[in-house]
Amino acid sequence: MHEVALAQALWRQVVSEMARHEGRRLLALDVVVGAWSGADPESLEFALGLLIADSRWPDARVRLRREPLALVCCACGREFQPEELNLVCPGCGGLDVDPVRGRELRLESLEIE
Amino acid sequence: MAKRIRLAQRVVAESDRLAKDLAGRFNRAGVFVANLMGSPGAGKTALLEETARRLKGELRLAAIEGDLATDRDARRIQSAGIPCRQINTGGGCHLSARQILDAIAEFDLAALDCLFIENVGNLVCPAEFDLGEHCRVVVSSTPEGDDKPIKYPVAFHHADCVVLNKIDLLAATDFSLEAYRRFVRGLRPRIPILELSCRTGEGMEAWLDWVRTQRRTAAVRV
Repeated sequence: MHEVALAQALWRQVVSEMARHEGRRLLALDVVVGAWSGADPESLEFALGLLIADSRWPDARVRLRREPLALVCCACGREFQPEELNLVCPGCGGLDVDPVRGRELRLESLEIE
Repeated sequence: MAKRIRLAQRVVAESDRLAKDLAGRFNRAGVFVANLMGSPGAGKTALLEETARRLKGELRLAAIEGDLATDRDARRIQSAGIPCRQINTGGGCHLSARQILDAIAEFDLAALDCLFIENVGNLVCPAEFDLGEHCRVVVSSTPEGDDKPIKYPVAFHHADCVVLNKIDLLAATDFSLEAYRRFVRGLRPRIPILELSCRTGEGMEAWLDWVRTQRRTAAVRV
């Protein structure tokens, strides 16, 4: 729903990094999309594609990596990947869990010339 | 010669920075800020209206209303007797820290005890965007069904308080309080679940007490 705004924010970071590193050409960007990032990967890729096509580097490729949700149990410390939305710790049955991975939407790296 | 630049930057970094700035301002002013989120029609505005009517003589309150269009909600809150600023997001599905920064320019934060931000009616996107608030409140209601917590786990997982509105309609629905509590506690074992009806006033006092307690904690931070 808000992937266009996220893509624009991501693209602003790309443009400012290009300026900082005096890049002439952007070959590729690596983006990590967590399962709980609130961004839909397809919509994000679509929006990024539009921004790239309209930019100084229309040939840049987007490499999107999906990060599944990983939780850690606050009671026993076990880390696990929940099946569906069963967020109960498989080790001790604990309910108090925190996400350790899968929340992020991250601009991981740029490949430039 | 191609080279790789490692960044590992969060994409919402700019928004996070603004939210941090907001949190600092709220703390310096000693104002308690709650971010209310929930589906359209859950009763977020009704909860604020009722809160305004009951607390305005005791605490200095203000609100910010987020909607796609119209200033209907802001007028409702103003009619209940507290200052309110409307933000229209156009097509935007959530309020952003930038919009809150603009909206608070009209308030003297130090002259307020509590500021309520009513997010755009949506159980998905608002959960992803920090507005510098002290607490996040998810407002849900019995006609929505008791399984909302497990269908929208992110919003509930990040909440500090859950309000279940329209308990006066329980008998007219298939809503199971027991199942709802189990689903919420499955995501957040120790979260307060405040069951109330803005229409009849049942359960409102527990909510008002929660607000009073949070505001005392916020005032200590100054």
